[in-house]
Amino acid sequence: MFASVKRIVFRKFKEAETKLHELNYLFWECTTRCNLNCLHCGSDCLKDSSFKDMPLGDFLPALDTIESPPKNFTVVLTGGEPLLRKDIELCGREIRKRGMRWSMVSNGYLYDEQKHISLLNAGLGALTISLDGLEDSHNWLRNNKNSFVKVDNAIGLAASSSRLNFDVVTCVNKRNFHELPEIYDYLISKGVKAWRLFTIVPIGRAKSNQDLILSGNEFIGLMDFIKDKRKDKSIDIKFSCEGYVGEYELNVRDSFFFCRAGINIGSILIDGSISACPNIDRSFSQGSIYRDNFYEIWQTKYQPFRDRTWTKKGKCANCKDYRECQGNGFHYWHGEKNNALVCHKELIEQAKYVRNAKS
Amino acid sequence: MKRNWIRSIIGGLSFASALFIFQACYGTPQDFQTDLLVQGQVKSKTSGLPIQGVKVSVADNMQHEYTDNEGSFSFYTELLDQVTIRFEDVDSTQYGSFADRDTVLTNIGNNVYLDIEMEEK
Repeated sequence: MFASVKRIVFRKFKEAETKLHELNYLFWECTTRCNLNCLHCGSDCLKDSSFKDMPLGDFLPALDTIESPPKNFTVVLTGGEPLLRKDIELCGREIRKRGMRWSMVSNGYLYDEQKHISLLNAGLGALTISLDGLEDSHNWLRNNKNSFVKVDNAIGLAASSSRLNFDVVTCVNKRNFHELPEIYDYLISKGVKAWRLFTIVPIGRAKSNQDLILSGNEFIGLMDFIKDKRKDKSIDIKFSCEGYVGEYELNVRDSFFFCRAGINIGSILIDGSISACPNIDRSFSQGSIYRDNFYEIWQTKYQPFRDRTWTKKGKCANCKDYRECQGNGFHYWHGEKNNALVCHKELIEQAKYVRNAKS
Repeated sequence: MKRNWIRSIIGGLSFASALFIFQACYGTPQDFQTDLLVQGQVKSKTSGLPIQGVKVSVADNMQHEYTDNEGSFSFYTELLDQVTIRFEDVDSTQYGSFADRDTVLTNIGNNVYLDIEMEEK
């Protein structure tokens, strides 16, 4: 009863948020160059050296179109690997000069003590570093024998700063799934306060590598692991907001599933395209900073993001949880967009059905 | 404004703790929003000329920066009740030789500008 009321109120909240569509979070895909060659490249971020880094001078006029940004407005520098940019500190300082905050997603390879200090000096406020397992499995996914040593150092530095809101993200796959308890202990030993776990989207290179994709049983194992570890509160562990997880909602993260792409989250991509999260199909681009006023586009377009009734097709057409899920994470709609690439709820239900049938 | 009010009420009623502190799935957490911009210029007390190469650091913290050829520095650091900024001549006699000094900041807002004079040794 209480849960139902919460669900209904949250639905209303989502409607209000969608109507308001306040821009709180802007990704800037400032480079698509990368110093690693990950097995899952093209899944959640992209490496493409054919693009030059977007000049800061191209990005700032777009940023300056934003009228009265809210206090918590953040520019999130992403890539590729943002630390490959030589002017990253200058980018950060220019953002701060405008009264805005900035943060960064990094693979940690170039994050040494000198870089840590220069980024803090430039007003870096939040940081996410990817760790995809213990040494062997991290190096395997990152396709680089030194990547764990580098990321281990980066995590230690970032965790030592009380100024930084820092978390570690892990792409859970078949290789690191059984290591989760050890990774958990490792992160606590490093002083990490927050850990977010993902699955890998079956696009890019990940599409043809079955080692990267969890089975239904493994996915349930992941949900149970997060649910269990959230009870001891040693670390703020959560499942990412990638998708709706049915019966596990509120057990694996702080609030109900709400994909805010295009509602509170926008992006400026490497070619100037205006969109939402960078892992969303690029055909959803709403304009270009090279021909449009960014904020005008934010205020007047983004219809597919703010009215998701078009996703009520394929496996979503007759789903009883559609109002809670609304087509799952927006990044699961690719290509012809006839069906969501992944339905976490279906994955859970099918695996539980098979388990029950066997027992 | 009205919409923001409605948003807060509904958000509060849904009893979810992270409604406004969200992060995109492949993005970062949101900033704590508690930092301090420390800017200023370091000059020689005797000559009044700017001093280059002075190490400006936050005590008990690895953060530091060096003054440029105009004696200027600028960095963000954690906002605390009290922040000690340390000025050290670490380049031997390259730009003169000056005595180190500390400046203790209290009751500060989100930014502070410091005019620092260092005495020649």
